[in-house]
Amino acid sequence: MPVSATNWADEVDGEDQPQSFTDANGITTTIEYKTNDDGKKVKVTRRTQKKLIHDVVNKAVAARKKWAKFGKEKGNRPGPDPATTNVGDNIKLKLSSTGQITQDVDEKHEAMKQQLQNKKILCRICKGDHFTTKCPYKDSLGMDDAAAPAGTAAAAEEAAPEEQQGGSKYIAPHMRAGASGSKPSDSMREKRDEQPTLRVTNLSEDVTEGDVSELFKRFGHISRVFLARDRETNACKGFAFVSFTMREDAQRALEAIDGRGYDNLILRVEWAK
Amino acid sequence: MRPILLQGHERSLTQIKYNREGDLLFSVSKDHVVNAWFSHNGERLGTYEGHIGAVWTVDVNSTTTLLVSGSADNTAKLWDVSNGKCLKSWEFNTAVRRVQFSEDDKMILLVTEPRMGFPATLQIFNVENGATETVSSEPLTVIHPEGPKITVAAWGALNKYIVAGRENGSVALIDPKTGDCISTNKVHEATITDLQMSADRTYFITSSKDKSAKIIESEFLEVLKTYTTDTPLNSAAIMPKVQEFVVVGGGQEAMDVTRTSSRQGKFECRFWHKILEEEVGRVRGHFGPINTIAIHPDGRSFASGGEDGYVRVHHFDDDFFSFKFQI
Repeated sequence: MPVSATNWADEVDGEDQPQSFTDANGITTTIEYKTNDDGKKVKVTRRTQKKLIHDVVNKAVAARKKWAKFGKEKGNRPGPDPATTNVGDNIKLKLSSTGQITQDVDEKHEAMKQQLQNKKILCRICKGDHFTTKCPYKDSLGMDDAAAPAGTAAAAEEAAPEEQQGGSKYIAPHMRAGASGSKPSDSMREKRDEQPTLRVTNLSEDVTEGDVSELFKRFGHISRVFLARDRETNACKGFAFVSFTMREDAQRALEAIDGRGYDNLILRVEWAK
Repeated sequence: MRPILLQGHERSLTQIKYNREGDLLFSVSKDHVVNAWFSHNGERLGTYEGHIGAVWTVDVNSTTTLLVSGSADNTAKLWDVSNGKCLKSWEFNTAVRRVQFSEDDKMILLVTEPRMGFPATLQIFNVENGATETVSSEPLTVIHPEGPKITVAAWGALNKYIVAGRENGSVALIDPKTGDCISTNKVHEATITDLQMSADRTYFITSSKDKSAKIIESEFLEVLKTYTTDTPLNSAAIMPKVQEFVVVGGGQEAMDVTRTSSRQGKFECRFWHKILEEEVGRVRGHFGPINTIAIHPDGRSFASGGEDGYVRVHHFDDDFFSFKFQI
């Protein structure tokens, strides 16, 4: 902190001299004044405590500590040489009486969890609380366009951690999150057959995939949304297919949405054939 | 705990050993060098140079004046611990796989390999005045043990017998004077990789490639305790103080290591309760199989040497000393 000079005489005689006094607890306080880089005078107060630790060692051990170094170490200074001696990462030895040794979790994984504890992780595909690359539905459900604008902020946030975890599992380039290429269609067809799918008709022209998934996701996990679009205008053709992972969810959605108004049109929902 | 990594070797470790007070740690590896380290901070005291082959084994006497090492260059060398000078070099027909000072420091036991038509031998040399005078080149006794190859050996209490571990998993008591095999017991299914005596030499621990370590009583060779793990073991040590533990280590064979991750390799030091035969904890860190384990004589730290060329010295945290096994 800068000291306001009260008297130029005091400044010279007293304040520039380092002061040092020891209190009853053996704590020495040293006060120094010096000029910092900005040309301001700074008061530095240091409190130090000295502790003398006595250690009783074997005479032979004490003698060996004084031995001169030899061999490859000949002439080297005392103290560990960083070339040969290093301190490793902290390792916890967890002792347990149960006989069951808990497999220690990968440290990196643990560290990342800690780091991201307060961050909200949102999958861009299914809106679950995992990374987009780790999404269990990334194969069956593509990146829907509508979610992208909402997800840009989250995406930026995720970008760094995603890179860190890279390498844990190989993902083909076209399968990675953010890849623009479309999914192989035969695998899509396979999945489509076995999933409970609803056909939604009488949609308005302005509807997007995002709107449809927004409408249906409250009933359960949606694995795929397909919105028929006109080739030229790219506008909605008025019908969509929504695939759920659970049949019960699809059933509930069918009952709830069928006949409901949406964008001044009455929706019709039925099982896709 | 934060382990101290000792990087004084360029190849895999073969044996590490503390001296009696535990202030020095000696390590040998396949890179021909013997290193001496201060165990409290990992500072290297020096190196003992002269071997021209992989060094298989090392031992230090109880007063930390003499060091003996056995190597694949068919020699065993006696060193002055304090300055790294070679005091004596014995030549053999084959590699020396194991050396050990007797309890009274007067003799050393050497195990040589059977190779190139030469039979395996156990040889005993007198080194009583090794620090001051030249020692004899001639052995006191040469024993030609029969049966499968001896991989490890150690002196029993009061030098009355030698305990040897064999390639077929059996242990044998051998009379050091006559060379007779007093008794034998097949305790393991596969080769015995390490044999370490308890402080009073009334029992010892063996580790084996059959994935188990056993505590064996040294008069009748009766198996007292068995610690069965899921990986081939290369070393086992008994904790002399503080806790009733044994530490075993090993891992997948070195030749298979590149095919699996370090997690599957099981390159951990495992702590077992000596009496109750329950595993209590693990210490990981090596990224190759653990070849050798030594425990500080006061039980406050331990060191492990691996195929990865590192020695890791671990000083236990406070909670280690207060741990009580709940039954």
